[in-house]
Amino acid sequence: MAKAETFSVVGQRVQRIEGFEKVTGDSKFIADIFLPGMLVGKVLRSPFPHARIRHIDISKAERLPGVRAVVTAEDTIKRPWGAFFADQYILSVGKARYVGEEVAAVAAIDPDIAEEAVDLIEIDWEPLPGVFDAEEAMKDGAPLVHDDKPNNIAMTLDIERGNIAQAFAESDVIVEDTFQSMPQWHCSIETIGSVAEYAPSGKYTIYMNTQTLFNARYRIAAALGVPETDARIIQSAVGGGFGGKSCDDNNALVAAVLARKARKPVKLINTREEEFLAGCRPRVYMKINVKLGFKKDGRIRAKQVKVIADNGAYSAKAPAITGVAAMRHDTCYKYTDVKTEAKLVYTNKVPTGAFRGFGNPSAEWAVEQAIDLGAHELGIDPIEIARINAAESGYVSPHGNRVTSCELKQCLDMAEKMIGWKTKRANKAPNTGLGLACTVHVSGKRHFGDYDGSSATIKLNEDGKALILSGEGECGQGAHTAMCQIAAEELGIRVEDVEISRADTDLTTFCLGAFASRLTYVSGNAVKNAATNVKRQLFEQAAEMLEANLEDLISRDGRVFVKGAEGKSVTVADVARARLFRHNGAPIVGSGSFDADSVLPDSTRFGNESGAYNYGVQAAEVHVDPETGQVRVLNFVIASDCGTVIYPMGAEGQVEGGLAQGIGYALTEGLQFDEGRPVNPNFSDYRIPSMRDMPPLKYAFADSYEPTGPFGAKGLGELNMDPTAAVINNAIFDAVGVRVKNLPITPEKILKALRDKEKKG
Amino acid sequence: MKMNIQFSLNGKSISRDVPTHRLLLDLLRDEIGVTGTKEGCGTGDCGACTVFLNGKPVNSCLVLSGELDGAEIVTIEGLKIGPELHPIQKTFLQDGGAQCGYCTPGMLMMSKALLDENPNPSEEEIRFALAGNLCRCTGYAKIVQAVQDAAALLRNR
Ligand code: FES
Ligand code: FES
Repeated sequence: MAKAETFSVVGQRVQRIEGFEKVTGDSKFIADIFLPGMLVGKVLRSPFPHARIRHIDISKAERLPGVRAVVTAEDTIKRPWGAFFADQYILSVGKARYVGEEVAAVAAIDPDIAEEAVDLIEIDWEPLPGVFDAEEAMKDGAPLVHDDKPNNIAMTLDIERGNIAQAFAESDVIVEDTFQSMPQWHCSIETIGSVAEYAPSGKYTIYMNTQTLFNARYRIAAALGVPETDARIIQSAVGGGFGGKSCDDNNALVAAVLARKARKPVKLINTREEEFLAGCRPRVYMKINVKLGFKKDGRIRAKQVKVIADNGAYSAKAPAITGVAAMRHDTCYKYTDVKTEAKLVYTNKVPTGAFRGFGNPSAEWAVEQAIDLGAHELGIDPIEIARINAAESGYVSPHGNRVTSCELKQCLDMAEKMIGWKTKRANKAPNTGLGLACTVHVSGKRHFGDYDGSSATIKLNEDGKALILSGEGECGQGAHTAMCQIAAEELGIRVEDVEISRADTDLTTFCLGAFASRLTYVSGNAVKNAATNVKRQLFEQAAEMLEANLEDLISRDGRVFVKGAEGKSVTVADVARARLFRHNGAPIVGSGSFDADSVLPDSTRFGNESGAYNYGVQAAEVHVDPETGQVRVLNFVIASDCGTVIYPMGAEGQVEGGLAQGIGYALTEGLQFDEGRPVNPNFSDYRIPSMRDMPPLKYAFADSYEPTGPFGAKGLGELNMDPTAAVINNAIFDAVGVRVKNLPITPEKILKALRDKEKKG
Repeated sequence: MKMNIQFSLNGKSISRDVPTHRLLLDLLRDEIGVTGTKEGCGTGDCGACTVFLNGKPVNSCLVLSGELDGAEIVTIEGLKIGPELHPIQKTFLQDGGAQCGYCTPGMLMMSKALLDENPNPSEEEIRFALAGNLCRCTGYAKIVQAVQDAAALLRNR
C-alpha cells in the first residue's frame, strides 16, 4: 500500500521531454512531412448509406492533366480486413455500406487537380434500403448490411456467473432502468493522415500518425497482401489519439494503393469533415438495460445487464468494446452473481470503435446510475453504498479479473473530502445537487493474440546518455516522458540524459501500442527490464574499473559508486567508453521484455484480462436552472488510484483532459444522423468543450503501489472520463429529481423530464 | 488565377506568384514550407491556425492569399525573441500547457494577442479570450496557468 521506495527521478516534476519542439512549432506532425515528388491524395466517398455500385468509370479522371493515379477496388486484392472480424475493404467492393465509405481515390500533383479529378469519376449507383437503428436492424426482414450476417448480428454474448435467478430472489431491493449512450467522436485536433511510399522491390513505407504501429502494420500487411516486413510504418508526431488513431480506418491503405500505382509518395490527410464521416471510429453507442439487486444493508447481491450495441457498417474493435461494456464494471465492486447479455448489431452508419474508455463510459453511464437509484431506494447515502461494495486488493471478479492493488476506498475518502460531501448534503441549496460514481480500468488488455507485452532496447552512448528505442505509440499523452524517467531511475542517470526514439516498425522491436491505458504499466515494465539489463553491463565494467564487487555498486546522477565508499566513483560516460574502446570492445546495449500476468479470456470470456487494475472516484456539484434546463457544473473532484505517479504533470494532464472529454460526453457532444447521414460533422455543430465550459476541478492521487508495476505504477489514461456522465446525471437527479436517460444531457431533455415529472405530479 | 504578392513573414520579405484563392494557411505550409501553423478544421472553428496578420490574430484558414499583398504576417516561428523562447512559450513548457502540442501554436499566438492587449488578465478574461482555441488533450487547466504565469513574467520584465 504505502510507497515501498523513494525515488530520485520517478515522481519528480520533470518537463515533457519533447516539450521544446511543441512550443516552437517544430514538432513534425503527419501533415508536416514532405517527400520529394510527393503527390496529394483525395478520396471519393459514398454519398449513400447503402448502395450497390453497378459501374465505375475513371477514364475522364485519369485523363485530367496532373493526375498520376486513380484507384478503385480493382487496384486492391479485395481481401477484407479488420481488428477482430475481417469485414471491411480498402475501397468498396460491390457496394458501399455507409455515407463516407471510400470508393475510389486520386493522386495528383496538387490538391485542386485531385479535387477536380474526384469529381470526374463516374459511378452508376443503385441505392438500397438501409438500416439505421440497431433494434430495427435485428428484426426479421430488415435489409442486411452484410449478406452473411443474419439479422445483422455481428456478435452475441450471454454469460452468467453464479446463480442470477436465486441472487435476485434473495435481494431486498431491486432497481432496473435503461440508458442510451451516444456516438462520441475523438476530435483530436489533428485528423488522421498518412504519407505512403512504394519501392519497386515491393516494400511499402508508410508514415502515419497512428498510436498503434505494429497493429497497424499487421492489418495493413494483411489488407495489402504483403508480409509484415514489407509494410514499414514510421510514426510522425501524433496530435492526439484517444483510440481514434489505432488503425481501424482505411486512410493509410488508400494512400498505399495510390503510391503503388503512381510510383510516387502520396500524402493523404483527412479533412475535418472526412474525419467525422469515415476517419476515427466513434465510440460504440449502446442501449443498456441494467438491473441490480441489493440487500437491505446496501450490499449488491445481483447484477444483470442487457446491451444492444451499434456496430455501424464494419466491426473494428466493437466486439471487444461491447464485451468490456458488458463485463468490466464487475471488477469495480465485490460482485458475486452477475449475468450479461449483449448483442452487437450492424447498421448502415459509420463504423464504431475504440475511444478512450473503450466500453466503460457506456457501461458506467448506466450501471453507476443504477447504483445511485439503489441508494435512493434503500435510503442510504450513495457514497456509503460505494464503500460497502468497493473492490479491494485481492478481489477476484466473477470473470476472473485478479486485483493486485486497489485503493478505491481511499479514493472515496479523498473525493468525499475534496467536494465537502457531508456538509453539502446536509445543507442542500435549491436546484443544486451532488453526484458521484466509481470507476475501474485496466492497465493493458490481453486480446490481440495471447500477448499483452512490450519490448524496448536501450543504448548507452559514449557520452553517458541513454537512448530508448521503443515501438509503442506516444500520441500526446506523455508516455515517452514517463518511460525516460523509468529508464533514468533504474540506470541512475539524470532524466535529461535519456532520449527516446519515435516508433518505426523497421527499427524498434514489437510493441502493441497505445490502448487500454497500458503504456506506463506494460511498456514501463519493458523499459525498466531493458534498463536493468544495461545496468548489469554498466556495473560489470565499472566493477573492473573500481576494483569492487558488482553487488557493492550503485549509480546515481550519472556516476557509479561503491556503496559505503562514495568517494570512489566513475562517470557512466567513462564506463561506457571503457567498455567500447578496448580489445573485444562492445557498446553497452540491452533489451527488455515484459508480458503481463494476464490470461487470454476463454470462450466464455473467463480469465484475468489485465496485469493490473486502476480505480477512481469522481464527484460533482451541479446547479440546474429549472426555467431553462441549463446545467452548471459548480465543482468537480477526481481521486485516482494509478499506483505510483511517475510523471506528475502528465498524470495531472490525463485527469484534466479526461474530465474535459467526460464533460463533452455528458453535456454537449454526439453525432446526429439523418437516415445514416451525419448532420453535424464539423466543430461548429459538434461541440467539444472549450476553455469556458470547464468547471473548477480538484484532484488527488491515492497513496498506492502496484506490486507488478514499474516502481509501483499502473494505468491512468482512460479512468478519468469513464464515469463522468453518470456523475453529472446523478448530481442532476439530486438537484431536481429527474434523470435524462439518453446522452447527451441537453437543456431541452432536462426541461422535458421536468415537465413530465410535473404532469405525473 | 495567379497573382504576385509581396508580404513580410516573421520579418523577412517574401514575393510569390500564388493562386488568389489559396488560403494563407496552405500558402504558409505547402508553398513556403513554414509548417508550425496547424490546420484543425479548415472552417474557422478551432483556432489551431491562428497567426498574426498586421498585428491582429486571425484564423489563417479563412484568409485568401489575394488579400495579403503588403501584409505583415507573424507565425509561431516568429514568436521567439532572438534565440530565446518568448515567456509564453517558456511557461507552456514549464506548466505542461502542451500535451500533443497540435493546438499549441495557435494557442500560443492567441495567448500572445491577449497579453499584448491585457497584461494582467483575470482567469475569466483568459477563458473568454481563448475560448475559440480548441484543445482536446489538456482540459485547458494548465494552459490557463501558463498564460497567467506568462503574464507575471512579462510584467516583471
Ligand atoms: S484550422 Fe483554422 S480555425 Fe481550425
Ligand atoms: S495539446 Fe493536444 S490538442 Fe491541445
